[in-house]
Amino acid sequence: MDIRFEEAEARFEGRTVLHPLTLSLSERRIGIIGLNGSGKTTFARMINGLVTPSAGHVVVNGFDTVKHGEKVRAESGFIFQNPQNQIILPILKEDIALGLKSRKLSRQQSDAAVDAVLDRFGISHLATRRAHELSGGELQLAALASVLVTEPDILIMDEPTNQLDLKNRELVRRTIEGLGENIIVISHDLELVEDFDRMLLFHEGRLAADGPPADTIRRYRELAR
Amino acid sequence: MKTLYVEGDSLLHRLPPRAKLLGLAAAGIALFFFRSIPPLALAALLCAAIYASLGIGLRHSFARLRPIFLTIAVVALFTLLVGSTEEAATVLLRLTSLMLLAAAVTAATGIGDFIDEITLAARPLERIGLVKAADIGLSIGLVIRFVPEILDRYRAIKDAHYARGLKPRILTLAVPLIILTLKNADEIAAAIDARGIRTQK
Repeated sequence: MDIRFEEAEARFEGRTVLHPLTLSLSERRIGIIGLNGSGKTTFARMINGLVTPSAGHVVVNGFDTVKHGEKVRAESGFIFQNPQNQIILPILKEDIALGLKSRKLSRQQSDAAVDAVLDRFGISHLATRRAHELSGGELQLAALASVLVTEPDILIMDEPTNQLDLKNRELVRRTIEGLGENIIVISHDLELVEDFDRMLLFHEGRLAADGPPADTIRRYRELAR
Repeated sequence: MKTLYVEGDSLLHRLPPRAKLLGLAAAGIALFFFRSIPPLALAALLCAAIYASLGIGLRHSFARLRPIFLTIAVVALFTLLVGSTEEAATVLLRLTSLMLLAAAVTAATGIGDFIDEITLAARPLERIGLVKAADIGLSIGLVIRFVPEILDRYRAIKDAHYARGLKPRILTLAVPLIILTLKNADEIAAAIDARGIRTQK
């Protein structure tokens, strides 16, 4: 994984949401924390190219997010805060197959890829279920499957344990621990990211701390007081 | 999110999606060639039988079809006011037949199949550079997928009115419904982009 922010800035309607930022990310597991409205989601969306920089550049695995949006999205999968919005088609296996449409696979190849990813997350029994019938934890796993079926190099997750009860939170946490991909996780659930390789703290649209999780969390607690 | 698709093993479920869509299109055209009541009444009965063969059940069928049927009733009533009883009955039977057949095809065909068939049908237009076939298929699939979602949202807004002791009015229902639907559409569009579903050639 090679993500570079080069004086990248995000402005919306004249307001600066993320001040010019220069940094490189290459660690396998990176946590992002910060108060609500601190700019962390904007930062994560810039990696996937969902938000393009108002100034500067964001380069993901060698691809500029403005010039090569499609390639950037193939490199980086994004799990949204609300998995309901991630699942586009109501039947789970249809939705997962939808992500493969642009790859022009045969029906057999597509079905095999869908079966493999459902099996990977232990949710094969949910293949023909409707998304609105799934529990919060199952929905998160479904969202994960829908993104990882395209085999991105980087997985970005925006508050994956948000709105989950304790049981589902544990299920999602164990799943994230078992992921082999490069992952970037935005979370208010500090336990989820405390053993990550690196942690970024955003505050009022600026990078307020960047380093080992223990130090960053300490700084976060100071800011939150 | 809910779906208009109903699982089942009826004859209509087993038919290939293309045959169902072509059949629906042909029936839609054919219905406009009949101008007298007996053949239209027969067509309505036939379509009702096809819909009944899906085994959806009366209560669920009523809930699914009521909004469209109310619209048809308004159109028929208006025709009665400006035309004859026979013209009103013709409109009522023709549109009811179409509604039942279209609802049956929608209930017996998965959205993925819809997207595939419509994308394939739009390929000739793509070849002459008019459209992107995949976008047309995805758009129509999303319309079908959004219908129950918007109805759910409408009910939730109506319930919120009752919970606050307010009488639901068209304006106070429509404004939040439109805002929420547009907001949700933005999020779905972001998810489509993030997952690379819509290719940009």
